[in-house]
Amino acid sequence: MTRIWQRTVLAVVLALMSASAFAAQAYKLGVNGLACPFCAYGVEKQLKAVKGVEKVDVDIKTGNVIVTVAEGTAFDEATAKKAVTDAGFTLRGFEKIPAQGSGK
Amino acid sequence: MTLAHAPVKIRITALAGLLLAAPFPVRGAPITFNTALPVHQGGWVLREQFVLNRNTDDPSSANRDVRVSGFVSVLGYGVTRDFALFGVLPYLDKRLDVNMAGQRVERSDEGFGDFILIGRYIAYTSDAPGRTLRIAPFLGVKAPTGRDDARDGLGRLPPPVQPGSGSWDVLGGAVLTYQTLDFQIDSQLSYQANQNANGFESGDVFRADASFQYRLWPRKLGGGVPAFLYGVLEANLVHAGKNRGGGAADPNSGGTTLFLSPGLQYVTKKWIVEAGVQVPVIQNLHGTALKNDYILNAGFRINF
Repeated sequence: MTRIWQRTVLAVVLALMSASAFAAQAYKLGVNGLACPFCAYGVEKQLKAVKGVEKVDVDIKTGNVIVTVAEGTAFDEATAKKAVTDAGFTLRGFEKIPAQGSGK
Repeated sequence: MTLAHAPVKIRITALAGLLLAAPFPVRGAPITFNTALPVHQGGWVLREQFVLNRNTDDPSSANRDVRVSGFVSVLGYGVTRDFALFGVLPYLDKRLDVNMAGQRVERSDEGFGDFILIGRYIAYTSDAPGRTLRIAPFLGVKAPTGRDDARDGLGRLPPPVQPGSGSWDVLGGAVLTYQTLDFQIDSQLSYQANQNANGFESGDVFRADASFQYRLWPRKLGGGVPAFLYGVLEANLVHAGKNRGGGAADPNSGGTTLFLSPGLQYVTKKWIVEAGVQVPVIQNLHGTALKNDYILNAGFRINF
């Protein structure tokens, strides 16, 4: 009986993890004007404040920001542009890319 | 105030210009003045700065020795992407050692100084991959929140030893920033117009500042957001007008000082630690105005 319970719990956990992994969506944002670590914080904070955003990875060398969002999140170019603009920078590119993980 | 104190009051007021022209840098960038880089909308930046200002090179027989030390707190808030407000509040310990009537005396006080509120608007932005150019005018007001009537056993303290000035003053200027991943250049022009309080008026202060910051480490950028170590070299040209007291200009006050300021900054995404020292390389002061030895700045900044 205990073994059945263990298998059931494990199956549920795996199913949830799997669902999360496949549900996540990712976007690559090109940000102009980003040239120091202290400034990167503002971009990260503004994007993380968007509902549904699970993870933000900034690459300061390329000026690219990978944003991972939960499935069903309405994350479009206008939303990205507003967040980047509020951080004090300029959005130069926006494209959807394959999700690289489960987010978070 | 006795007559014996009056000459000391007048002579040491040459310092007032430098002390009142406190910088308000808060973003990453220069150590001794401001930058045009943004404070993100709704974001805060806190800077705590330890300052030690030493002035001992007195050409007069008073052999004055003035030390000012303490902390300057700066809180910045991004109202919009282009407009930010900065509040500056110093807590300073001011000491004057001077020969008076054949004796060496110390006069001192400490406390919160005058609060400065500054609005800065980024009027021009040109962003490109890995670099930005910005120009930001700013305007501020200094409120007389610090005590300006401190006394000791010898009477009322002279103005530069008072924590506050007692006057409402205005300041304004513009700062330009060009930042790349490898280096950053900042340049600022500013003017502070000082008003009369208690029969004394510090000379107006004009400043021209320049800063060059070069990324020393990491030499090659990898991915993500690595911390940067910057070598910093700054120049500060400070011209203070003559002070006025009793309806007349003080011939032993004011003048022009050029500082060179080497320093180091360690910059991460969330915080910065930094230190620099302002060394006067040219001092063209009026009369027996007291010369500056150095100004040490060290502190940190936090993003939140």
